[in-house]
Amino acid sequence: MEILSEMKGEVDISVKIRTTKFFIKEGFGNLHKNKTMSTASISSVIAALLVIAIFFIIVMNVDYAASKLESQIEMMVYLKDDLSETIVSSMSKEIKTVSAVKDVQFVSKAQALKDLNDKWGDNAYLLEGLEGENPLPDSFKVTLTDPSKADTVALALASISNIERVVYGKEELDKLLKATYILRISSLIIITILVFISVFIISNTIKLTVYARRREINIMKYVGATDWFVRGPFIVEGMLLGLLGSLITTLVVGAGYYYCSNLIQNQMLGLLSVTLMPFKALISSLTLLLGTIGLLIGVVGSFLSVRKFIKV
Amino acid sequence: MIQLKNVNKKFANGHVALNDVSLDIENGEFVFLVGTSGAGKSTIIKLMMKELELDSGKLLIDDKDVAKLKRSQIPILRRKMGVVFQDFRLLQDKTVYENVAFAMEVVEASQKEIRRHVPMMLSMVGLSKKSKQYPNQLSGGEQQRVSIARAMVNSPSILVADEPTGNLDPEMSWEIMKLFNEINQKGTTVLMATHDLTIVDRMKKRVVEISDGNIIRDERRGGYFSENQNH
Repeated sequence: MEILSEMKGEVDISVKIRTTKFFIKEGFGNLHKNKTMSTASISSVIAALLVIAIFFIIVMNVDYAASKLESQIEMMVYLKDDLSETIVSSMSKEIKTVSAVKDVQFVSKAQALKDLNDKWGDNAYLLEGLEGENPLPDSFKVTLTDPSKADTVALALASISNIERVVYGKEELDKLLKATYILRISSLIIITILVFISVFIISNTIKLTVYARRREINIMKYVGATDWFVRGPFIVEGMLLGLLGSLITTLVVGAGYYYCSNLIQNQMLGLLSVTLMPFKALISSLTLLLGTIGLLIGVVGSFLSVRKFIKV
Repeated sequence: MIQLKNVNKKFANGHVALNDVSLDIENGEFVFLVGTSGAGKSTIIKLMMKELELDSGKLLIDDKDVAKLKRSQIPILRRKMGVVFQDFRLLQDKTVYENVAFAMEVVEASQKEIRRHVPMMLSMVGLSKKSKQYPNQLSGGEQQRVSIARAMVNSPSILVADEPTGNLDPEMSWEIMKLFNEINQKGTTVLMATHDLTIVDRMKKRVVEISDGNIIRDERRGGYFSENQNH
């Protein structure tokens, strides 16, 4: 007679499938049955995710602008005077082999003077008389794949013979690197804090739905349901709440961003050299982030809120 | 088999719920736990369900020490017992059938088993025709019968009832008792806490009386009051 009196040590696959089906059935059913509470939970998920999403977009854009600046940084490598063309071209090849070097461009002294002329514009008369004996050296313009490696690259370059001096905006670069580093770390911390706050808010909302169903939990426990079995439907429900919330937030924020970035690009704002991160580059990471966080806060939130009622 | 050996239980507020209680209940017995409210009847039931922990002494169910069970083993213990409460504890948004099936679903029974057992239980309690109705469409007696079907659907070896007739009129109460008797005849141990004296007197079963946490009487075929008391 005792069909279920002993729990099997090994887990039967068919039992697992059946249980999962029960969780999904109950999870969906509960979501549907408690429409008011579900709406309230989804709304709080959306509110929390909106804050995270907007913050994320700001961070991504600042980071985007910073990386753009970083990639524009170049090193000037000044050469000794009167080097033959063969030496110069072999030097160029050697520089290219240094790691983190993206591109090398030779600038002859004549070209350098011309550039300076152009740069100074109206004040170029100051350079008059230098044509005869150009004091500017030949040089290479070196761009880097990874600006944070500028120091090592500079050292490596200095050891190459016939190089007079390596010049780059060390301080400016360091400041920029430091700023982007701080930005990345602090945004990670702030997003983590926001996630915790969201978990707290959502677990409180779900707690209300759990409280409304404490009788059900109580009966389940009396009949001999395991803790995991009681949690199951709530976790499925939390997952659904989280995913629905993140879907709605992604749609709203995505559409808003698409509209705004188009507006900025197309209107006169485009003149201000303000470039937002392209929609396509942003939307996939935004979807992934919101989906993950939504799922996480749904699952963790329901897990926490069931905890108290499960101890019967 | 249920064995209590020198069980003590004191609540945080200092109230002594059970004082050195020893009691043996054999398989297949029918036992009434009687006594005033707060005497300790419900405490015994809660200790058996491991809803409460005892302070000292031993509580064995089928030779297993309940105190030593891990949290993860509590479901195994509870599946040995069917529980019936005074307030029925039915889920209002589920039908009669679903309420009974729910007890099987949560212990991960297959749909095949559910479809076989639930109608059997409903016919045993005489509610086959009301399987699609909701609890609020039923009388109190009928609701209690649903909860008995739910308690018995997983074939427990012990049926525990805490004041099952407390909310019912005498006629309905008697129907419930006939059902309990029937269940007991089929071999299930029945332990029922009550202060319904008419029922206890009429059933002529074993009576264990508790007063202030002490067992003061244990009679084979007793009445609600002891014979040597003058009432």
